[in-house]
Amino acid sequence: MMSEHHGHHIASAKQLWGIGIALLILTVLTVTVAGLGLPSPFDILTAMAIALTKAFLVAAFFMGLYWDTKFNSMLLIGALAFFILMVSITLLDTLYRDDIVPSF
Amino acid sequence: MANHSATHPKHVHHHFVDSNQQFESAKLGMWVFLVNEILFFGGLFCAYIVFRAWYPELFTQAALELNTFWGAVNTVVLIGSSLTVAMAIRSAQNNQKRGLEINLLITILLACVFLVIKYFEYEHKLHLGIAPGSFWNPTPEIAAVLDHPKANIFFGIYYMMTAVHGLHVIIGIALMIWLYLRARKGHFNSEYYTPVEITGLYWHLVDLIWIFLFPLLYLIE
Amino acid sequence: MASLSKAVNTVQMTPKKLKVKRFVPLENPTNTYLTDEKGIWAWLTTVDHKKIGLMYLGAVAFFFALAGFLAIALRTELWTPAKTFIEADTYNQLFTLHGAMMVFFVLVPSIPAALGNFILPMQLGAKDVAFPRLNLASFYIYAFGAIFTFLSLANNGFDTGWTFYTPYSSDTNSAGIIWVTLGVFILGFSSILTGTNFITTIHKLRAPGISWDRLPLNVWALYATSIIQVLATPVLAITILLLAMENILDIGIFDPALGGDPVLYQHFFWFYSHPAVYIMIVPGFGIISEVITTFSKKTIFGYWAIALSSLAIAFIGFLVWGHHMFTSGQSAVATTIFSFLTFLVGIPTGIKIFNWVATLYRGSILMKTPMIYVFIFIFLFSIGGFTGIMLGALSVDIHLHDTYYVVAHFHYVMMGGTLIALLAGLHYWWPKMTGKMYNEPLAKFAAVLIFVGFNVTFLPQFIMGAQGMPRRYYNYIDQFTPFHQTSTIGSYILAVGFLVILFYLAHSLIKGQKAGPNPWNSRGLEWQSTSPPDFHNFSHTPVVIHGPYDYHQPMEEFQLGLAVDHEYGDEQDEVAAEAHASLDTETTEA
Repeated sequence: MMSEHHGHHIASAKQLWGIGIALLILTVLTVTVAGLGLPSPFDILTAMAIALTKAFLVAAFFMGLYWDTKFNSMLLIGALAFFILMVSITLLDTLYRDDIVPSF
Repeated sequence: MANHSATHPKHVHHHFVDSNQQFESAKLGMWVFLVNEILFFGGLFCAYIVFRAWYPELFTQAALELNTFWGAVNTVVLIGSSLTVAMAIRSAQNNQKRGLEINLLITILLACVFLVIKYFEYEHKLHLGIAPGSFWNPTPEIAAVLDHPKANIFFGIYYMMTAVHGLHVIIGIALMIWLYLRARKGHFNSEYYTPVEITGLYWHLVDLIWIFLFPLLYLIE
Repeated sequence: MASLSKAVNTVQMTPKKLKVKRFVPLENPTNTYLTDEKGIWAWLTTVDHKKIGLMYLGAVAFFFALAGFLAIALRTELWTPAKTFIEADTYNQLFTLHGAMMVFFVLVPSIPAALGNFILPMQLGAKDVAFPRLNLASFYIYAFGAIFTFLSLANNGFDTGWTFYTPYSSDTNSAGIIWVTLGVFILGFSSILTGTNFITTIHKLRAPGISWDRLPLNVWALYATSIIQVLATPVLAITILLLAMENILDIGIFDPALGGDPVLYQHFFWFYSHPAVYIMIVPGFGIISEVITTFSKKTIFGYWAIALSSLAIAFIGFLVWGHHMFTSGQSAVATTIFSFLTFLVGIPTGIKIFNWVATLYRGSILMKTPMIYVFIFIFLFSIGGFTGIMLGALSVDIHLHDTYYVVAHFHYVMMGGTLIALLAGLHYWWPKMTGKMYNEPLAKFAAVLIFVGFNVTFLPQFIMGAQGMPRRYYNYIDQFTPFHQTSTIGSYILAVGFLVILFYLAHSLIKGQKAGPNPWNSRGLEWQSTSPPDFHNFSHTPVVIHGPYDYHQPMEEFQLGLAVDHEYGDEQDEVAAEAHASLDTETTEA
């Protein structure tokens, strides 16, 4: 009956707990790094790098993208790409204005 | 063809060929919906980035008013709930009715803990007059530390982001309760657990959003 | 015929061999989706995509009539330079109502949710869309949202125009804004659900043999549309939510009085609303591709060029929103880049026009009503497109911004494009949807009325716009009087044209001749079912072995279905299917 089993991958309890613990460690790490007070661009960069790693772990293993059809991953990446598009084009305006809010 | 034949399992709707097609469709549909969710929050993140690029010093000052400890606790709570949802799906896949119920209950509990902590954070801030936009009316002590003219905007963004996220948590709790009731009636098994799977995807997204909200709002030193 | 069905008896479809047989659609079906369940309750609770499509069509037609009526009132008011018969405040509210209704109630759902809902699963050989209950929910959300928005627009006297620009919308009439934005928020949900449903349906519910290169171009267009709906609509939702919060809580993100940035609102709004114009027009492109091949009896020229240009338009549509904001105070850098990117949209659109015209070349053209609308579309839409390119040019736009030139441009695109395509599709698929033919001479007459009325209405607006007549103005200087009066007369001709359509379509429902399954001799899969179709669209599972426009292949090879339904894989069912099929053939050939 259920011949094609892609999408029905069953993750082992060990795997899931491993990911959970890794996420916990990364949370502790990001709080610690924030406490160090790195200079300006690096604090946000490390924080985002750690957040992206966490997001990757959640998406790949908790959400099962690692075992899933590629198209679902494409959807996630596509959504992020369009979000980046939106932000970067908006910044083309907001970063290059003469006055931030004209007349104010 | 309108009737289910003997080989067509009961949970498969008439317009699908088989159970697998239905499952894959539901999952794809949920992923497309998550694309929606990402761009929905994307608008808020965009506003955040635009204002942060304009007033970096404001964000550094204002973040000091947010309690990093409770933010971190909430992060851990949400990660835990993501884990239990993943475990719930695993239980359903293995026909473990009891495990499914317990995992769903823990998830609901953790989501409630998240909301309670959030509530106390809100309450504390509003008590100090840290309110969005025109309701911005900080106590003198706060105003002395946070004297930026656009401080109200930061909290406008803060409240919108966390409130919209909180709304998603509430919707998630409602969905989990619905799943729990169905699980108790024995609706789910290894052949059919689609609602558990796609609600799980939704819940992980709520977690994903928070993974970004936490460093962006709380961890600016 | 017997030898033929032997020849195609088994079709090699990688990886498996399918046993197929020919299913000729019945001339006079006894059991159709219209007779399947009766009564108003069965309609209101149906999950059948065809009935939901028709309910959408009815609702869209109703709101179109209402908003069209407002347009007539506006044009009548503009007959004289000063007051004709309505007050200035009422005038402001009426044009807001006209714009908001036409955009959110009519144009956005018109083709995808009404015609698309009906046709898409049939073109895929599916029994329904992937999530039928969600489909019904999306209709009710639409109906509720539309009524809600309409009542709040009508009650609160809302006059910001359909774009709700801040700070006007954050500083005036808060109650009105809150309700309207809530209504638009609800409408957005309906659009999102339709898009989600269509993407899943196209990916997962294609009949055996419909590979991506055999997808009808209408499906490609709806696919591109759904992608835009899914990516852009949530941004409208959050924008509208922020605007509502701006009014409820004064959060200050957009309100300059509180330190926010009103131009940011415009960015957010147009991040949705510019792609949204492609939500409106791209499905129209799909209809044109279908109709033009059927009535040229010829394979489409440049299948992939047309299919991929839909996706290209969807993508480029997300890069150009700032051309609505050339005079808003956005940075010079952004303005220049937006102007440049805007020209890019012309490329995929031009590709489509050229391919359609090339399809006509040496085709055996049949001038039926849908085809007449296709020609009207190409003519009007080209004018709309070219004037759009002119507006995308930075310096020209500074002169033309917010004049009647812009009004004329988007009416040429939206009405001359989307609505004319909708009319083409409506006439094309009318026999399929109802099983009845309409009065052809009368339909042609109406098409001519609409073409003439449309141009008389909107051509003068280009001229007055170029001469400096601003849009949305209640009064104007005397020199514009002749243009305004010509335009008003044109709008009356248009209205008569629509009334004629209403008359003969109603007449067709009651007394129309039977259409038969395939009155246009199309190769499209939706025409290989009975008219009107059976509840499950087909009495069999269709199998497709040719492209949708392969007019050089015999009709017989487009009427194949699984001899054994793969879900009923046992011996008994095979016999049953066989008996059913031979019955079909006998009745039609008798």
